[in-house]
Amino acid sequence: MTEQQAPILDLASVSAAYGPVRALEEVSLEVRTGEIVCLLGSNAAGKSTTLRTILGMTRAHAGEIVFDGERIERLSTQEIVSRGLTMVPENRRLFGKMTVRENLAIGANLRKDKAAIQADVDRVFGLFPRLKERISQKAGTLSGGEQQMLAIGRALTASPKVLLMDEPSMGLAPILVEQVFDTIKEINAQGVTILLVEQNAHVALSIADRGYVLQTGRIVLADTAKALLEHPNLSDAYLGELE
Amino acid sequence: MRAALSRDNVRAGLIGGVTVLYLALVGMIERFQDRDVITDVIGLGTLLILIGLAGTGYMASRPPKPRPGRKPVTANPALIGLVAGTTAGVLAGAVILILELLISAGVDVRSVLASVTPGMLSTMEFGLGPVGGALILVGLGAALGAGAGALRLLSDQLRDTVTFTLTAVLLMSLMEPILSAVLDGLSLPDRWLYEGGGLTVLGAVLTVVAAGAGRWFWKEREPQRKEAVALLPADRRTLYRKLAVFAAVAFLVVLPWLVGSFISDVLGTVGLYVLLGLGLNIVVGYAGLLDLGYVAFFAVGAYATGVLTSPASYLVREEGQLFAEKGLTNFWVALPFVVLIAVIIGILIGAPVLRLRGDYLAIVTLGFGEIIRTLVLSDWLAPYLGGAQGLLNVPPPPPEALDLRAPQNVYYLILVFCGIAAFVAWRLSDSRIGRAWAAMREDESVAEAMGVSIIRYKLLAFAMGAGVGSLGGVFFAAKIGSIFPNSFGLLVSINVLSVIILGGLGSIPGVIVGSAVLVGLPELLREFAEFRLLIYGAILVAIMILRPEGLVPNKRRQRELHARDAEAELSVIVTDEATS
Repeated sequence: MTEQQAPILDLASVSAAYGPVRALEEVSLEVRTGEIVCLLGSNAAGKSTTLRTILGMTRAHAGEIVFDGERIERLSTQEIVSRGLTMVPENRRLFGKMTVRENLAIGANLRKDKAAIQADVDRVFGLFPRLKERISQKAGTLSGGEQQMLAIGRALTASPKVLLMDEPSMGLAPILVEQVFDTIKEINAQGVTILLVEQNAHVALSIADRGYVLQTGRIVLADTAKALLEHPNLSDAYLGELE
Repeated sequence: MRAALSRDNVRAGLIGGVTVLYLALVGMIERFQDRDVITDVIGLGTLLILIGLAGTGYMASRPPKPRPGRKPVTANPALIGLVAGTTAGVLAGAVILILELLISAGVDVRSVLASVTPGMLSTMEFGLGPVGGALILVGLGAALGAGAGALRLLSDQLRDTVTFTLTAVLLMSLMEPILSAVLDGLSLPDRWLYEGGGLTVLGAVLTVVAAGAGRWFWKEREPQRKEAVALLPADRRTLYRKLAVFAAVAFLVVLPWLVGSFISDVLGTVGLYVLLGLGLNIVVGYAGLLDLGYVAFFAVGAYATGVLTSPASYLVREEGQLFAEKGLTNFWVALPFVVLIAVIIGILIGAPVLRLRGDYLAIVTLGFGEIIRTLVLSDWLAPYLGGAQGLLNVPPPPPEALDLRAPQNVYYLILVFCGIAAFVAWRLSDSRIGRAWAAMREDESVAEAMGVSIIRYKLLAFAMGAGVGSLGGVFFAAKIGSIFPNSFGLLVSINVLSVIILGGLGSIPGVIVGSAVLVGLPELLREFAEFRLLIYGAILVAIMILRPEGLVPNKRRQRELHARDAEAELSVIVTDEATS
């Protein structure tokens, strides 16, 4: 999957800040079509901010973000999502009082073509048959694993070209973590490019093609997943207390 | 018995006693005594005392809520009720006795407690004098407390039937103005049912029998009925649902002719609040934006109608020839423009507050509401809006032949627009837009990440809410014919918000029930107008504690609250297992 292709998502020297607090400093990274790229880092390294900045929810005050050949750093979130970038947010963050069906519908809220939406919903049910059984159930009443499925399904009904995933393993039992990562591979195999933010470096790198390591808002390491896995002191040096 | 004598139960009794005394000392019991529940048998004041004492026993004997890590204390509910009721009775009796003693010792009690009149004391004493009164309060407290507690021992069905029957008698009595008007309207005799403002003994007995038997059988047949309904084919069920809707509409259509013009007028006012409530429900219930300045749109609707149609307004007076000749001062021509103006103002008010959430939004909208009221009062706009003098002579909606100012006819006018507004609100709630609002209400930033345009949907909510709410103002102007700035105070915003919270946020039937309870009932109980806000507040507090989802809850919200209860119970089970 690592055949050289033009990047579909390309961040060049992107900086962002929350008021006076600098969150990202000249972050450059690229994701090529068909890849799984993971973005590693300890708490508060700027991983989630990177995703928020890509989606236009936090404004980049410097740098360029190119998606699918088009500058997007000045577009609204809505415009960015409609171009094919969607996020699975941290902690799943489902609409708990809404049904499974309604949650999926929100994912597709910018699309008009009913047949195509239905096809994507069917694809989600193909990946997660359990969701189909619970289609009229409130999302808040699902189990943790099912909630993660729905969070991924909700993003997939937007028919993304690139899926941004923020800590999909957070708060899940080890067996479920494994399932989630299998699913990520499967989604990727179906043609969705994935940018994955994780603290769980080992598991993430095991399915990724390449990885970046963020530390206090800067990219400090970028390499293939294999090389990063073999890096002698990746955990100690860059990922803080983890592992 | 020892378990029943717990501190909790005595405290509940003290609270009950204080409540009864409070109602007496603010003068409510004496005033209410003027109205009979059952003529010559029991007055509303006496009933308040009885309800206070019985309620004390009933509330005290509530099954304890499961709490993690604490085993519930079990005691006989009748004994709990006895303890609490007796405590309440002793407290009330003692205070009344002390008041009597002070008065007989020549102390001027009324200079401090103005409501301690002979009438109040005699009502509290059931006409038995100081000592007899104190004793009967204790006795009644014990009997009613124990009786109410004993209700908890009955089967659910029986308890439900008893409380339903007692409530039915009270409601039948309170509805006397409406029902006797209805009977008069049908030229049926009503003396057998009502006399002197209350139920007759015969009427009360009939109510008890009818309500009791009806409720009992209704509950008795409930499982079979549900089963039968579940077995009905889908087309049959929709047919029955349509028939029910049709019957409800037919009832609403004939209603004003049954109840006469005074009550039709009240119904019209209720309808205005339904319109306002439906509008605010879009903003608060659907989109989750707490708007405390909603009166702004009521004012805009009323004033825009006045400015466009009243011969007294500057626009019509000065440029009027042109306007009038072209028929532009016609109410129906003006109506869409009024709504359009309100929508634009809704967007103007919405735009600066888009970034605000929750409390901040509430405060800013509160400010906007006051700004609008100040503007219509101002000298600056007085030439156009009439300042403190208001706008007079707003003509009734044409054609004249229909006489759309007579209460019954205005009622129909409002009814039609309530129907339209309710239909729009209903369709919205189940649409792509409604879903986007629901998502935004639950988690704004995730909704944004999913591509829901927060700005667009917030503005849309403000605009739709403003448009629907302005209709309330439009028909207010049409109904009253004159518009004064002081009709548009903060209290209107609070009332409308109370209506939708009482009814159940996001629920359309809730808006109707809420308006009927908070707007309709006070109009029917005008003689007690001085206690209106007290009762109003008490109802709101009680509903928020006992039924936070509202009277006719929106399903989504109700399920959420129930899910929480289930969760709480589950956590208790888990912790109990852990501790045992």
